[in-house]
Amino acid sequence: MRFKMYGSFRCRMVLLLLFLLLDCNFSNCLADTSSEATTHTNNWAVLVCTSRFWFNYRHMANTLSLYRTVKRLGIPDERIILMLADDMACNARNKYPAQVFNNENHKLNLYGDNVEVDYRGYEVTVENFFRVLTGRHENAVPRSKRLLSDEGSHILLYMTGHGGDEFLKFQDSEELQSHDLADAVKQMKEKRRFKELLIMVDTCQAATLFSQLQSPGVLAIGSSMKGENSYSHHLDSDVGVSVVDRFTFYTLGFFERLNMYNNDSLISLFSSYNPSMLMSTAYYRTDLYQRHLEEVPVTNFFGSVMEMIHTDSAYSLLSRKESFRVEIKMSADKSVPDKKRLMDNPSDLDQISELNIEDQHGALKRIWSTIQKEMEKVEDVDAFVSYGLVLIVPLLAVSMWLTW
Amino acid sequence: MVLHYYFHSLGHSRSKELKGNPITFYADIVNAMLIRATGQNLQMEYIRSLKLLDHVKLLEKPGKIIPSGDIAALVYLWNPFTIVACVGLSTSPIENLAIILSLYGACKRQAPLAAFGWVIATHLSLYPAILIIPMILLLGYGPDTPPRKLFLQRRNVEVGDNPPNDRCCEREEVVHRPEVPHIFSWRPVIHFLCWTSLWSVYVLVLCGISVKRYGGLWELFKRTYGFMLTVQDLSPNIGVLWYFFAEVFDFFRNFFLIVFHGNILFMMLPLAIRLKHRPCFLAFVYIAISSMLKSYPSVGDSALYLGLLGLFVNELADMQFSFFLFCGYVGVSLLSPVMHNLWIWRGTGNANFYFATAMAYACLQIILVVESVSAMLNHDRMLRKPLTELQDGKS
Repeated sequence: MRFKMYGSFRCRMVLLLLFLLLDCNFSNCLADTSSEATTHTNNWAVLVCTSRFWFNYRHMANTLSLYRTVKRLGIPDERIILMLADDMACNARNKYPAQVFNNENHKLNLYGDNVEVDYRGYEVTVENFFRVLTGRHENAVPRSKRLLSDEGSHILLYMTGHGGDEFLKFQDSEELQSHDLADAVKQMKEKRRFKELLIMVDTCQAATLFSQLQSPGVLAIGSSMKGENSYSHHLDSDVGVSVVDRFTFYTLGFFERLNMYNNDSLISLFSSYNPSMLMSTAYYRTDLYQRHLEEVPVTNFFGSVMEMIHTDSAYSLLSRKESFRVEIKMSADKSVPDKKRLMDNPSDLDQISELNIEDQHGALKRIWSTIQKEMEKVEDVDAFVSYGLVLIVPLLAVSMWLTW
Repeated sequence: MVLHYYFHSLGHSRSKELKGNPITFYADIVNAMLIRATGQNLQMEYIRSLKLLDHVKLLEKPGKIIPSGDIAALVYLWNPFTIVACVGLSTSPIENLAIILSLYGACKRQAPLAAFGWVIATHLSLYPAILIIPMILLLGYGPDTPPRKLFLQRRNVEVGDNPPNDRCCEREEVVHRPEVPHIFSWRPVIHFLCWTSLWSVYVLVLCGISVKRYGGLWELFKRTYGFMLTVQDLSPNIGVLWYFFAEVFDFFRNFFLIVFHGNILFMMLPLAIRLKHRPCFLAFVYIAISSMLKSYPSVGDSALYLGLLGLFVNELADMQFSFFLFCGYVGVSLLSPVMHNLWIWRGTGNANFYFATAMAYACLQIILVVESVSAMLNHDRMLRKPLTELQDGKS
């Protein structure tokens, strides 16, 4: 009896071990496939300027410069949420009305014809910022003010203004705390509102703002570390205030020589920051981000470069079968054999034969299916059809002669 | 000979305008020739049936019987609607060719030709599908004849003349009279249906191959027949559907689509019952109704039925309102482009101006159909009169 019990116990242990192993494998597979299950579908950008008053002109210029860069590299207005806490362009103290510059040479007017500001003035609050990130809006909020990202989105979150140790100042009256930001990002991850997120902060002691983050798929870079200040780049004596911050200035310097088709990696951007020029240390954290920065192009976040699927025929994407097949392609193996497509067609055409209004005889359906198989083999469609049309006349003559 | 001269003069005038595309021109010529041949066939039948009925009055005056085939061909060729449709490079002449080909084939009892014409006509535009009833009647009974009971009455009168003394003599009397075609012969109809299915399979296979890349046959049907039946595009035309469907609520749209298209279908059966002895005229009435109530009518459709109207000049000689209809047609065809210009190009008019002419056009077509049918029925009643006089004289 003892032996039997021992034997059964051993069996049970072995089974338990096997089950655990399988479970591990299964979860590994799940983990592997979950990150690869979603593909990159679109790019979003949330650009926030949190400062008011005329002397914070440079924060608005920072945000507008990045807006321009991101638009130039391909993200459309529909997928940019631009939040500007104050209006410098039409400020009474602006010598150049409706113009915002980020350089004293005034070469580039950032506030041109094509600026779409989603949250302006008093609308830029911590509450609205969190509503945008988490997607918890009231019913009446229009679509242009919502972050309508999905689980395949790459989001760029850029924040600039006055900040400090674990906070960012909004509108000179309230603060955004680092753990609130981490909570919002955690909510976004749970609601699957992004695939990858890049947080870029240009404030004093910027790196403390994302110190509490724990969600995977997040990359963050700040212009300065704890205890350091971020400085403005230069003063524009004509406008009367500083027009750009150093971190953003060098970021723009990096992007100005890029276009959509460059695939410079993120590591080249992050290592382009020179601490002596910035007068602070640009710190970035990659512990939450699985991919290697050498492989990730900057257009992954800053632009919108999509993979193109080239099709020859004009209408192939219209039929339901084709769209279903595109969804299948999204999974791991992309090699859908062409034979599958051909074999699906006879079932389609079988349905048509039933709906044929002139077809009254059942035996014709069999003929129809044999004709379908012949049809699949035809390569040169136009020549065949023209031969068929020309053949009608002699066929008609023969048939009339037969039944004369 | 006269006709050839007309063709020549027409050809010279038209070919100058049709620089690149003479297909519509040749289609119209072929249409006219086929109408003429059909008219000759119908006329032969008419004279034969009059002889059978011993209709002395009508037969005595041969000058009164106008060659309807020639008249119809000339009316078709010189109709301004036909010329406009031809010069505008519309596909109406080709659709009309298919319809007339099927009518000609059916009159000549050529089942493959009739089937081919019907299949092509249905393929090009959906509405000639209703012509299957006149086709079957033409193939079964033969071309237009006076009502069958007249023949039966005639025979009864004949039999009544000679008292049945000798049975075999009576039978000989009856046998000597040529047989009256009042029996429906199914063989040509079965042939016709077989050829229809063959031709439709051929056409569908060709279509299927050529639209294989674009979504297959179902996509083709959805975009051609589906488009015509669901009236997707509401650009103004000379019909009456666009104005209505521009203002109908979406909830009722399907209901009214069914009503409008059912309007054509409801009239088929009663007309077929009443005019089954005159299948060619039945085809004319169907064409007129469908060209009035179809979703996208054009002047090419009315060119067809106005040409076919000429085939029945002998029977419709006493049609009422003919002058009113003629003036109405001329007036509508002159006013309609003017109102369209006023509305669309100048902006001084509105849709009601143009739609008023479209409504007037529809009213004229209705009057034409009603009056022609009543004139035809009056003609049949008139044929019956001498027989009843004979019978009355007897009794």
